[in-house]
Amino acid sequence: MPTKIFKDISFIFMEKWRLLLHPANDAFTNMAIDEALLISGKPTIRLYKWKPSAISIGYFQGIEEEVNLKECKEMGVDVVRRISGGGAVFHDEHGEITYSLVLPQKMLPKNILKSCDKICSCLAKGLHYLGLNAKFSPLNDVVVNQKKISGSAQTRRYGNVLQHGTLLIDVDVKKMFSLLRVSKKKIEDKNIEKASKRVTCLRNEIGEIKEGEIINALKKGFENGFGVELVEEELREEEMERAKELREKYASREWNFKR
Amino acid sequence: MPAENGILKGELKVKGGKLIKCSIEVKNKEIKQIKITGDFFMYPEEKIEEMEEMLIGKEIKEDAIKKALDEFFLEVETFGASKEDFLEVIMMAIKTIKTNS
Repeated sequence: MPTKIFKDISFIFMEKWRLLLHPANDAFTNMAIDEALLISGKPTIRLYKWKPSAISIGYFQGIEEEVNLKECKEMGVDVVRRISGGGAVFHDEHGEITYSLVLPQKMLPKNILKSCDKICSCLAKGLHYLGLNAKFSPLNDVVVNQKKISGSAQTRRYGNVLQHGTLLIDVDVKKMFSLLRVSKKKIEDKNIEKASKRVTCLRNEIGEIKEGEIINALKKGFENGFGVELVEEELREEEMERAKELREKYASREWNFKR
Repeated sequence: MPAENGILKGELKVKGGKLIKCSIEVKNKEIKQIKITGDFFMYPEEKIEEMEEMLIGKEIKEDAIKKALDEFFLEVETFGASKEDFLEVIMMAIKTIKTNS
């Protein structure tokens, strides 16, 4: 059957996007690499971790409003302002895989909600491979049984889109609330309990799981969602150079304390 | 006399959207300093600083601020908070002048 032949050889024509599997980096390097990828605009999925643990805040947030800086310093937790909007996130070095996706704008819906849906639905697809009932939850989350397991933030510039976000493997709500400056009411045990009912993580949902399995599932989710093949590659020389320069901005007081 | 020279604050959780916080310093019924923060999205991001600059010196009247925002929002796109929400949070802060006095 001609259609069968076409199906069998379709992988030859399948578009190939770059997959970057990065070791844990510090917050400033992580944000610098994401911006370097946004500038280059080469279709890329990057999976990474944070070491040391860090808090990232949204572009528009006030650092002192959102972060308990004293506690962060004592706990050795870095704080960085993102290039993207959205909320403050605690990136636990043992509790999270972070993804970033970069594409030319024209390859995604122009409408922000629709583009967010498209990307988050790939994450949800990935989680389906792990047996989870995950779905996109507007505006920018992925939920499993109504509980948030992933949050994302998107920025657009240079004709390209960068969306980065979290996938929680394990969550220490108490630690999170000691580092993030939420209103006093929220720190009370009652509210921490409430927060743990709204948030979940892979460990809660499926128990222990190997990192390789998670990465594989996410890879398949993106491949399936976009109809592409992800091929593991490295950063280009010029991207590395650019990231090195951009790291200075992300590590600077001027950038992080600008709001 | 109302306390018109203090820092005024407004906070709005947009229904089905994000949080916008606003702090304003008012002098002689004009905005002297303004900061708008929150977990919303605005494209391009650095326009927020232009928006704050642009609001400085504006009379603290709803129609004056609305007009300024109408013009500004031609150049940006937001997600999780609309132009009307920004106006609302600014007016929320301004209106505390009377309730604080």
